[in-house]
Amino acid sequence: MRLAFATLAVAMALAVPAGAEQTVGAQAGNFRLTDMNGRNVELSQFRGKTVVLEWNNPGCPFVQKHYNSGNMQKTQAAARADGVVWLTINSGAPGKQGYMTGAEAQAFVKKTKATPTDYLLDPKGVVGKGYGAKTTPHIYIIDGSGKLVYQGGIDDKPTSDVGDIAGARNHVLAALGELKAGKPVSVAETRPYGCSVKYAD
Amino acid sequence: MRLVSFVLMTLAAWLAIPAIAQTPGQRHIAIDLVAETDRPAAGGEVTLAFVSRPEAGWHGYWKNPGDAGVETEAHWTLPAGVTVGPIQYPVPHRLLIAGLMNYVYEGPFTQFVTLKLPAGLAAGMRLPIGVKLDYLVCTEEICVPESATLATALTVGDGAIPPKRRAEFDGWRRALPKPLGSPASFAIDGGTFRLGVPFPAGAPAKDVYFFPLTDGAIDYAAPQKVSREGDLLVVETKAKAGGPPAVEGVLATGEGQGFSVRATPGAVAAPQQAMAWGAALAAFAGAVLGGLILNVMPCVFPILSLKALSLARSGGEGARGEALAYTAGVVLMCVALGAILLALRAGGATVGWAFQLQDPRVIFVLLLLVTAIAFNLAGLFELSAPGMANRLAASGKGGAFATGALAAFVATPCAGPFMATALAAALVLPWWGALTVFAGLGLGLALPFLAIGFIPALRRRLPKPGPWMETLRRILAVPMFLTALALAWVLGQEAGVSGMTIGLAAAALLAAGLWWTGLRQAKGRALAWLPGTVAVVAALTGVAMITRAPAQAAAEVAGTEPFSETRLAQLRAEGRPVFAYFTADWCLTCKVNEKAVIETAAVRDALAKGKVAVLVGDWTDGDPALGRFIEAHNRAGVPLYLWYGRGGSQPEVLPQVLTQAMLIERAGG
Repeated sequence: MRLAFATLAVAMALAVPAGAEQTVGAQAGNFRLTDMNGRNVELSQFRGKTVVLEWNNPGCPFVQKHYNSGNMQKTQAAARADGVVWLTINSGAPGKQGYMTGAEAQAFVKKTKATPTDYLLDPKGVVGKGYGAKTTPHIYIIDGSGKLVYQGGIDDKPTSDVGDIAGARNHVLAALGELKAGKPVSVAETRPYGCSVKYAD
Repeated sequence: MRLVSFVLMTLAAWLAIPAIAQTPGQRHIAIDLVAETDRPAAGGEVTLAFVSRPEAGWHGYWKNPGDAGVETEAHWTLPAGVTVGPIQYPVPHRLLIAGLMNYVYEGPFTQFVTLKLPAGLAAGMRLPIGVKLDYLVCTEEICVPESATLATALTVGDGAIPPKRRAEFDGWRRALPKPLGSPASFAIDGGTFRLGVPFPAGAPAKDVYFFPLTDGAIDYAAPQKVSREGDLLVVETKAKAGGPPAVEGVLATGEGQGFSVRATPGAVAAPQQAMAWGAALAAFAGAVLGGLILNVMPCVFPILSLKALSLARSGGEGARGEALAYTAGVVLMCVALGAILLALRAGGATVGWAFQLQDPRVIFVLLLLVTAIAFNLAGLFELSAPGMANRLAASGKGGAFATGALAAFVATPCAGPFMATALAAALVLPWWGALTVFAGLGLGLALPFLAIGFIPALRRRLPKPGPWMETLRRILAVPMFLTALALAWVLGQEAGVSGMTIGLAAAALLAAGLWWTGLRQAKGRALAWLPGTVAVVAALTGVAMITRAPAQAAAEVAGTEPFSETRLAQLRAEGRPVFAYFTADWCLTCKVNEKAVIETAAVRDALAKGKVAVLVGDWTDGDPALGRFIEAHNRAGVPLYLWYGRGGSQPEVLPQVLTQAMLIERAGG
C-alpha cells in the first residue's frame, strides 16, 4: 500500500521552466520525477551517459502502433545494449486518457515487455511542458554532457499503420548510432506525430 | 477496502482503453466521395469532393494539424493515365486543448481533389476510381486514426456538370481559401514573427488568424496579435528557432473566409504602438514647422496681424500674458480638434484633418464668422465701441485666448497641403503621439506671438502704432473677404446651389445687421449691438436649412454594371467593346488600379466616348461562378482585366498593373 501512495505522490520538477521548449544544442533542462516504483529520479544523475526521453500514453493509437509491433521495445533494447539510459515519461493528467498510477505503469511495462531504464510519472505535466512535449510518442535525446541533440518523432512515417514501420527511418536509432560513432546528429529535429499529450487543463 | 478499490480502479482503467479502440465499420467521420460530374471529358478535369461529417464532439484535422495530429493521406487506385492533384482543404478552426494548438474541423467540411483525364479516352469508357483515406479523428480526450475506403465510377463523356451538383459544389467551395494575389512578407525579429499581408484598409476582417502551413515558423499555441495599418495587416506572434525561406499558410478573416498567403522574408514594420520616439519627434518637429507656415495663410494672416499689433501696443508683462493666453488658445483648439478626429476614427468613420469642414453646417457657421470679421476689418462696425472696449481691455487675456482658438479653427483648411506628412503620421500614431503632433501644430502657429510677447527687442522693431494701422486693417479685410468667398464655394460643393444661396443670404442678413450696429455705434447710441445680435441669431437659424447634397459616389461608378456571362454575351452580340474587370474588397492591387486608373475622369471619359461597356465582377465573397470564369482565363484570382475589342472573339488579358494609357488607347481604337 505504501507503494501505491508513493506513486501517487506529486511529481517534482527542478530547473525546468514551465512552458519553455528545449533547444537542440543547448543544455537540456534538469528535472526530478517520481518513477513507477515510487522512487525519485533526477536527470542529472545520468550525466556522462546518453539519455533518451520517450513520451508515452498507452491509450494513444500511435503509441500502440510502436508497442504492439514491438518496434518501441526493439529500439529500447538496442539503445540499452549500448549503455543508453531510456526514460519513458507519462504526462497524462488524472482522469485523462493514458494516465497511469505507478502500479499500472509497472503492469504496462511488464505486459508490453518494454525495457526502459525507468518509467516516470508527470501527472501535472511540469516536465512535459518544460520540454515542450506535444505528442505521444515524442522523443528527446540528451548526450553525455547534458546537451539536447535530438527532438522529434520516432521515425519519418507519421501514420498509425504498423505496416509503415518497416520502411521508415528510425530517427532514434540513427541518432544514437551517430552519437556512438562520435559524429554529429544529422537529423537533429523533426516534427513529432501522434496524439496530443493529455495535459491537465 | 482501499486495496479493493485500487484494484477495481486499475481494472477499470485497463478496460477503458480497449473500449475506445475503433470498432470496424463504425467511423467517427462519415465521408462521401462525390464527383462534380459522373461523365468527365477525355483530356479534361473533374473535381472530386470528400464530404465529411464528424460525429458530435469529434474533430478532423487540417493539412497542418498543429502541435499534434497528422495530415490526411490518400492512396489512390486509378485507371491508367488518370492523375490526381493534392488534397485541397477548407479554412480550418483552431482548438486549444491544455496548451496544445490543434487546427481542426469540428463541423462538416469538404476537401477536394482534381483528377486529370488523359486525352483520347473513348467515350463511354468506365473509369473506376478508388481511394483509401487515412486520417486522424479526435475528441478532446482521445484520438483514433481511421481509414475510409471509398470508390466511385466515372464514365468518359462530355464533361457536362448537372446544375444541382454544381450548386452543391459551389456551396462547399466557398469555404476554400481564396488566393490573395498580393505577395506578403515576413520578418523574424528577436523571437517575434511578424507577417505583413497587403489587405485594403476598407475590407472587413475580424477574428483574424494566420494558420501556417509551413512547419517550424511559428509557435502554434502562442497568441497572435493582429493590427491593421492602412492597407497592411500585420500578424505578430512568437517565432520558432530557424528562419524558413518562405512561409505559406491561410489568413482567416472571420465568417469562414480565408486567403492563401505566401510570404517571403522582407521588412515588416513593427505595429505603430511600438513606434520609436524618434519618429514621433520628427512628426512633432514637422508639425511645429507647418504651424509656423500657417501664419501667412490668407485665412489666418489678417487675424494674426492685428493681434500682433495689439501685442506690440501693450508693453512688458501684459504682452507676455497675452502671448501665453493666445498660445494656450491655439494649442488647446488644435488638441481638441485632434482629439475629436481620433475619437471619430476610433468610431470607424473615415476622416482626415479639416474633418470639421466636411460638415456643411460647420462651413456655414465659418462663413458667417469670416464675413463678420471681414466687415469688422473693413470698418463697417467696431468691436471697440465704448462699453465693449472696457470689457475687452479688462479681459485682454481672455480675448487673446479666444483669438488663438479662432485662428486655429479657421487655419485648418489651409493646413492640408503643407501638413500632409505630419498629419498622416499623426493619424497612425498611438493617441498620445497624435495629440503631441496636434499640439506641435498649435505651437508652431503661436510661435511668432510668443516671440513678440517675450522678446522686447522684437516688439520694439515692430512699427509704432499710428493712423497707418487703420489703413492696414482695411487692406487686411481683402484676404478675409476672399476667405469668405472660398468658404461659400466649399459650401456650394457640399450643400449644392441652394445651400450656397442660404449661406450667402444669411451672410447678407448678417452684414445688414452689423452695418446697422455700426451706424448706431457711430452715432454713439445706446444698445448699438441690438440689431447686430438680432441679425446674428437670424442668420444662424439658416443652419437648420443646410443639408448635404446627394453624394457624388454614385456618379463615380456610373456606366458600369455587374458582370454576368449572359450580359457579356449579349454585349458581345451587339458588337460593343467590353471592358470586364474582376475585383474584391480585400484585393489591394484591385483597389489601387480602380482609384488610380479605372475611376479617373480621363479613363471614364475615354470609355464613354468609345461606347465601351464596363462590367464589374465583384469576387469579394468568392462567388464560385465568377471564380470559374476567372480560372478559365488562367488566373487563380483577382485582379483580372479583360478587354473585348470590337470584332475580336478572344479577350485580351491586360496586365495586373494597369495604366491609364492602356485603357484610353484601347477605348479610342
